[in-house]
Amino acid sequence: MGIRPIVSALLRNSAGAILVSLQIAITLAIVVNAVYLTYQRVTLVGRPSGIDDQNIFSFSVEGFEKDFDFIAMVRDDMALLRQMPGVVDAAPIHQVPLSGSGSSSGYYSLPDKKGKDSPAAYYRTDEHGATALGLKLADGKNFDASMIEWPKKDEQGQPPVAVVSRGFAEALFPGEKNLAGKTFYDSQSKPIRIVGVIDHMHGSWVGWDKVDRTMLVPRVAEYTRYIVRTQPGQLDRVMKETEVALRKRDPNRVVGKLNKMSDDKQRSYSGDMMMAFTLTVVTGLVLVFSSLGIFGLATFNVNSRTRQIGTRRAVGARKLDIVQYFLAENWIVTTLGVLVGCGLALAVGYWLSTQYQLPRLDLYYLVGGVLGLWALGQLAAWQPALRAAKVSPAMATRNT
Amino acid sequence: MFAYYLRLALASFRRNPGLTALMVFAIALGISVCMITLTSYRAAAHDPAGEHGKVLFAASIDSWDPEDAYEDDDKSLAPTLLTYNDAKALYASDIPDRKVMMYKGGGIVSRGDKGMEPEYVSTRMTTADFFPMFEVPFLYGGPWDAKADAGPDPVMILSKETNKKAFGGENSVGKTVRWQDREFRVIGVLDEWTPAPKYFDLSNGSFNDNEGAYVPVAWGPILEMGSHGNTNCWKTEVINNFQDFMNSECVWLADWFEIRSVEKQRAFREFLDNYVTAQKAHGRFPRPLNNYLYDVDGWLKRNKVVDDDNKAMLLLAFAFLAVCLVNTVGLLLAKFLNAAPAAGVRRALGASRRDIFWQHLTESGLVALAGGLAGGLLGWCGIWAMRAWYARFLDAPLNFIPFDAMNFVIVVGIAVLAGVMAGLYPAWRIGHAAPASYLKVQ
Repeated sequence: MGIRPIVSALLRNSAGAILVSLQIAITLAIVVNAVYLTYQRVTLVGRPSGIDDQNIFSFSVEGFEKDFDFIAMVRDDMALLRQMPGVVDAAPIHQVPLSGSGSSSGYYSLPDKKGKDSPAAYYRTDEHGATALGLKLADGKNFDASMIEWPKKDEQGQPPVAVVSRGFAEALFPGEKNLAGKTFYDSQSKPIRIVGVIDHMHGSWVGWDKVDRTMLVPRVAEYTRYIVRTQPGQLDRVMKETEVALRKRDPNRVVGKLNKMSDDKQRSYSGDMMMAFTLTVVTGLVLVFSSLGIFGLATFNVNSRTRQIGTRRAVGARKLDIVQYFLAENWIVTTLGVLVGCGLALAVGYWLSTQYQLPRLDLYYLVGGVLGLWALGQLAAWQPALRAAKVSPAMATRNT
Repeated sequence: MFAYYLRLALASFRRNPGLTALMVFAIALGISVCMITLTSYRAAAHDPAGEHGKVLFAASIDSWDPEDAYEDDDKSLAPTLLTYNDAKALYASDIPDRKVMMYKGGGIVSRGDKGMEPEYVSTRMTTADFFPMFEVPFLYGGPWDAKADAGPDPVMILSKETNKKAFGGENSVGKTVRWQDREFRVIGVLDEWTPAPKYFDLSNGSFNDNEGAYVPVAWGPILEMGSHGNTNCWKTEVINNFQDFMNSECVWLADWFEIRSVEKQRAFREFLDNYVTAQKAHGRFPRPLNNYLYDVDGWLKRNKVVDDDNKAMLLLAFAFLAVCLVNTVGLLLAKFLNAAPAAGVRRALGASRRDIFWQHLTESGLVALAGGLAGGLLGWCGIWAMRAWYARFLDAPLNFIPFDAMNFVIVVGIAVLAGVMAGLYPAWRIGHAAPASYLKVQ
């Protein structure tokens, strides 16, 4: 069967077809870009942090009286926390990764701000920091207790050693092996030797493109937080017991609110999750409405052409021919919409790429979208087409 | 006539209840998605200072690194915070009508043994004009004066929430609280006050909770209290003590000015330029002269309170509404054409084209109104869900995303307008159908 009769039938009543095409065009533009954006966000949220972030909680501790002994407090608290049942390890740390709040600084591969340079988020902690975060050491070794500097009045600056993330080390020394043992420099040209390399560790700001450049500094900061890592499933129990145990050990300081790191992480990613969720819902709704639109048009066409179908059946068309006719008509309308939609989708994709500095819309998504809408169109027209095939040839002789 | 059209429309709805429900539902969903995104967009784009914000100014001067601008994407922008010495020098100007120098600090609040667990309370270190300038409402007492700033006097103003924790919500003016290791006298308690966005300090998020206490900023150096908000540094400096830190190029304070007359605003801009030029003679301010005086609206834009996600979502929502509307036009067209014989009979009995047109437009308008109202309610539920979502993660005040009656009116208006537009073509089309062709087959 030729395509000409279908086209001429469409042209005779073009308004409905144009509307459905338009709807399909906008749908393609929305769906392709929404799926692309959602994929980006979901990948972002789902990437590993390198930290055992589901089994860690953190909190601040602060003394407020003049004669308060900070060092003794940390030593005694740590001794208490580390022997609690269910605790893997605990450590003082001055900022908490994934929380949105942290410290960073710029570093150089050569003295006098020369060579490669890279910023890194740094975490002041002790020799238990790496285990308390659940980090995997890829090279070299962890700090030992003798390397840790404890606060002294009027002295700051950088200890001479650090444990760094592979991302940070490779930014300073690209293409080099044996990163442990290398020396880099801070902005005051003070040398820092890498004693260990962490396989992977995210820093404080998940929206930062250099989030995997991190480093542990062997120093206990004057204002500190504690992190505690528990065995899987023990988090809630240990949190409850910690609060009680710390208050009991010394009521004369303030223990801040206990935060699960998984909550911190969720909060940091909440915008991305919200975006992904909304995009998914809207994509689903758009697809449902487009199917309804296609279905509606096909139903209308079948209803208004009952007599014509009857006539065709009476002069010898098989049921299959009728089904094919309506599916072909639908395919033409869908294709028209898809063609316009491709242009629209690319335009929206371009606009989004300038907004977000994202890579331009991947063409695979467009191809997928086109194929998907073709299939959706045929599926939505399926039931009306079958109904059309059931029209009896006797309809040709009737008046309505 | 209109009443008759309404009756016809209702009769038509009864004939195809499924199709009618589908159209109403389509408009409702499109409208609700628009309402939700529009509300969160407007929440971010909201200017909480209103008209008064046009005479409030934040100062921003470029004291940053000569080799690396403060912002990567626009190198002519200056830091959003000030160094201690600059904040003090600008604050000393007598051109502005009111002026504030401040930063976010914090301390442990306690009442000795008097029934309050010591607790960390974030504290705004500020000056006397802060309260009248930002129109801060008081429940008890009032602000401190310039003399207390100069002292500095050990005076403190509590938020309603802190007052509830420390004094069970009673009038605590005249009582003392411990803040860190000192006694402070409560001279005022604030009423509920949650400007959103928190425009006077956007450096820790646009919708952060307000501070729980307020103390004269001059206590900062005495207690050696740095910023509990943001501190940014660029210069390689040896900082061994708090005095070194205060003299460093680190930025951590903010100055706000109320300057009512245009002449004074011009004079103050000149003052900024002169100050920076004079500082250049001392080897400071190595970058070009990038001085800004932002009013509240400009400040919200400078700090990108409306982010890219907000814009993309708004675009998406309206594209979605477009799909829903095109869908409705298609369904209306099909419905009207299906009922064309009835219109043919009415035309043959003497109804004019106009009558037929208005009759059908009334029907589509009614569908749109129903869709708009349903969409408004659905949107309301969506906003409620979104508030619950954000309340779970953010320390945002509850009015962060407001239930805005204006938004409801806007979206229902959009719905009716769009619905009528959607009905125009089908109504015109059916009005112009030749009646004879429909009468023939009957």
